Amino acid sequence: MTVTGHRQRATTRTALRSSRLSSLLGLTGVVIVGALVSAAVLAPWLAPYDPTERVARPFLSPSWDHLLGTNDIGQDLLSEMIFGARVSLTVGIVAAAVALLIGTAVGVVAGYYPRRLGSVMMRGVDMILVLPFLPLLIVLAAYLGRSLLNTILVIGVLIWAEPARVIRSQVLSLRSREHVLAARSMGAPDRWTILRHIVPRTALLATGSFVRAVSNAILLEAALSFLGLGDPIQKSWGSTLFWAQERLAFLTPAWKWWVLPPGLLIMMASLGFALVAFSLEERIDPRL
Amino acid sequence: MLANVNRRSLEAGKEHMAERPSSPAIALLLAVLLVAPAACGGEVAPGTSVRVRAAVTGDEGTLNPYTYVSGFPGWNLLMLQYDSLMQLDKSGVPRPWLASEVRVNADLTEYSVTLVEGVTWHDGRPLTTRDVAFSVDYYLNNAEASRFARDLMDVQDVVVTDDYNATFVLSDPSAGFEMSALADVPIIPRHIWESVESPSEHQFEGGTNIGTGPYRLIEYVEGRSYRFEANADYFMGAPAVDELVVIVFADDAGVQTAIRTGEIDVIFERIPPEQIDLLDAQDPLDIALGPEFTTQMINYDASKRPFDDVTVRRAINLAMDRQDIVDTVFLGAATVGSPGWIHPGHPSYNPDIVAIYDPVAANSLLEEAGYLDSDGDGVREFDGQPMSFEIITNSPDSLRLRIAELTAEMLAAIGIRTSVAAVETGTWEQAVWPGFDVNNGRNYDIAMWGWSAPVQADPLRLPQLVTSVPVGGFLNLTGYENAEMDALSGTLGTESDPAERNRILGRMQEIIAEDLPFVLLLYPDGAYVYDSSVYSDWEFIAGQGIVSKLSLLPPSARP
Repeated sequence: MTVTGHRQRATTRTALRSSRLSSLLGLTGVVIVGALVSAAVLAPWLAPYDPTERVARPFLSPSWDHLLGTNDIGQDLLSEMIFGARVSLTVGIVAAAVALLIGTAVGVVAGYYPRRLGSVMMRGVDMILVLPFLPLLIVLAAYLGRSLLNTILVIGVLIWAEPARVIRSQVLSLRSREHVLAARSMGAPDRWTILRHIVPRTALLATGSFVRAVSNAILLEAALSFLGLGDPIQKSWGSTLFWAQERLAFLTPAWKWWVLPPGLLIMMASLGFALVAFSLEERIDPRL
Repeated sequence: MLANVNRRSLEAGKEHMAERPSSPAIALLLAVLLVAPAACGGEVAPGTSVRVRAAVTGDEGTLNPYTYVSGFPGWNLLMLQYDSLMQLDKSGVPRPWLASEVRVNADLTEYSVTLVEGVTWHDGRPLTTRDVAFSVDYYLNNAEASRFARDLMDVQDVVVTDDYNATFVLSDPSAGFEMSALADVPIIPRHIWESVESPSEHQFEGGTNIGTGPYRLIEYVEGRSYRFEANADYFMGAPAVDELVVIVFADDAGVQTAIRTGEIDVIFERIPPEQIDLLDAQDPLDIALGPEFTTQMINYDASKRPFDDVTVRRAINLAMDRQDIVDTVFLGAATVGSPGWIHPGHPSYNPDIVAIYDPVAANSLLEEAGYLDSDGDGVREFDGQPMSFEIITNSPDSLRLRIAELTAEMLAAIGIRTSVAAVETGTWEQAVWPGFDVNNGRNYDIAMWGWSAPVQADPLRLPQLVTSVPVGGFLNLTGYENAEMDALSGTLGTESDPAERNRILGRMQEIIAEDLPFVLLLYPDGAYVYDSSVYSDWEFIAGQGIVSKLSLLPPSARP
């Protein structure tokens, strides 16, 4: 009796502590994401210069006029960082939305018809998951050519597999719930059941997957742009790194103001979304 | 006079560049070529042997005429071991070398050469005209895997008169034969190569590398290094560098690190503009700077609206602030483009042609010709459409991409809106030059473009760029046509008087600058870094750089 009671209290305490930790992490994530999103939204007012305008000599070191110096054609790097948030976040969010759309569709259909159609679809998902990811991304991006839209599509069509799996397992359990069975036995058409009873109940889980996908997509966008497979003229953090590499900033002291800031920003953005996703999942995840 | 630049003169050059846009690029060239004092530092005590370690970024095989890999620096390293009948001097003009004299007949079909007497191969055998005749036959009979057969395409026969006199008989008149063949083709020894039956399949070893050149290749470790030893009996005098080690690096970053840490003494490849000041600021490194004949230019489809109107082309030309592009993208390490195509450092340059930057004049030209911005959106219209175009460029060339961005900015100032599209090199080539045949037309409006050095180094190739397609303009990528140009091109190829040829070239440059079949923006300069405490007598050959036998011979032996 006492022993069980002790154990119960201990578990409660760990659970409490972990939930407090997770909400603390979640809060940190929200603050980071909030800061970056407001920087992106307020970019024209925050940035000291127009990032597409040549405002000073090229390759300047940091000074009061240009806190992060200038790039290889004399554009202000700080302004580039602030405006870069727009591209990085847009690509992250839109690509994640594309991924979620595909993922939800596949997950719901595969979960609702688990036998033949579902298993065929899930083998497709498995294939996407085992494909060597970055090489495939590079090949696709090189094949489709450079533009913001292509970057979004390429990332979107490659990261939908994980959300698809998560959602399918949720749908599998939903379809055997009593109210769903009841609806079906009363002759409700599949389409109606899916839209009325299944999809709305995957929404919470989808939100968690979405935020995680944003975090991934931001990293991938940066990787593509750094490799020169994004649109090198779009101001994003990845393309800033691409130009730093092209003009050999890695060999000179300029890495401190040209390589480090975009690197840190990419890390922060990805981390911010990852923390939010972690904390969301802690709350939503029914611990299947 | 050496083209070596110490830090002071480089800065002097830059100060000059600061007074843009009035300072013409030729000033930089002059500062570099003439004002620069001869080599600084690097005093080597007499009697000690000089050993230079150089870096390249690719293996060049066993470095004989059939195994070297790259046109640069492979061919240059090859020519350390071999000689050609003529040799380019520092301004890029062919001078007698193995041949003490070259005579040409009036209709440019017979080139007679007299060999220097007493030249020996590395194995001690004498060089004779039989080796020359053998070399020509050999290259022509083994045409695959050799660029030299192409150089010698027009040679019908080599008539050997005696051991030292021979005549090249050509099937067609060729004014450029000295440049394209006599100064390019390495002479190979008959006694070695007559036993090599099929050079593209032969398993070569170092033993084949017998030449007459100032260096012998004595060790080759595949993918790692080459060791050259000076030929003390060289006919132009013993080389100044006794041993040359060429180290093969995997990539640029490794090379850049090695020169900074003193593991190598010179880089046998051009360094990027942003590295020039950084490396020059480090002792004992110095920079050799000089003209290169590669180009960066704007192409437009001159056969269709609105670029078929010379007014539009002139406006674009006036809108280009070339000095700004040179200073911004190349940090001054480029020469402002002549609208007449030929580099100001080239002997055939017409000095009356200068680039003018005047966006106000450009705007009024367009205004007067009726290209108005009637809807007030900042973009002019032609035939009822906005003057809005795509500039395509190849993404791997990041400097060209930056030039495209600046071009778009400058065109916006005269009411032409452009967006830059960076595409794969293959896509870009197929749009500008489909199938590498101008008869296939063009699929672009505006494109950034650039020709490699040989197209400009030999001014007699100019007709290929600007005559109409049926007349022989097989590099005419913009669909430009001008009857006077076609006529001049015809006379240029058959004119035997060099002064008259130069006059024709001068007139052709004038027409190009007025008609603008393309807009030449700039010529990137060549910059090489070397350790002046080891060796500093590097000779910059215009359009070729420092990797040549001239750099390694004592200054008195250079033409």
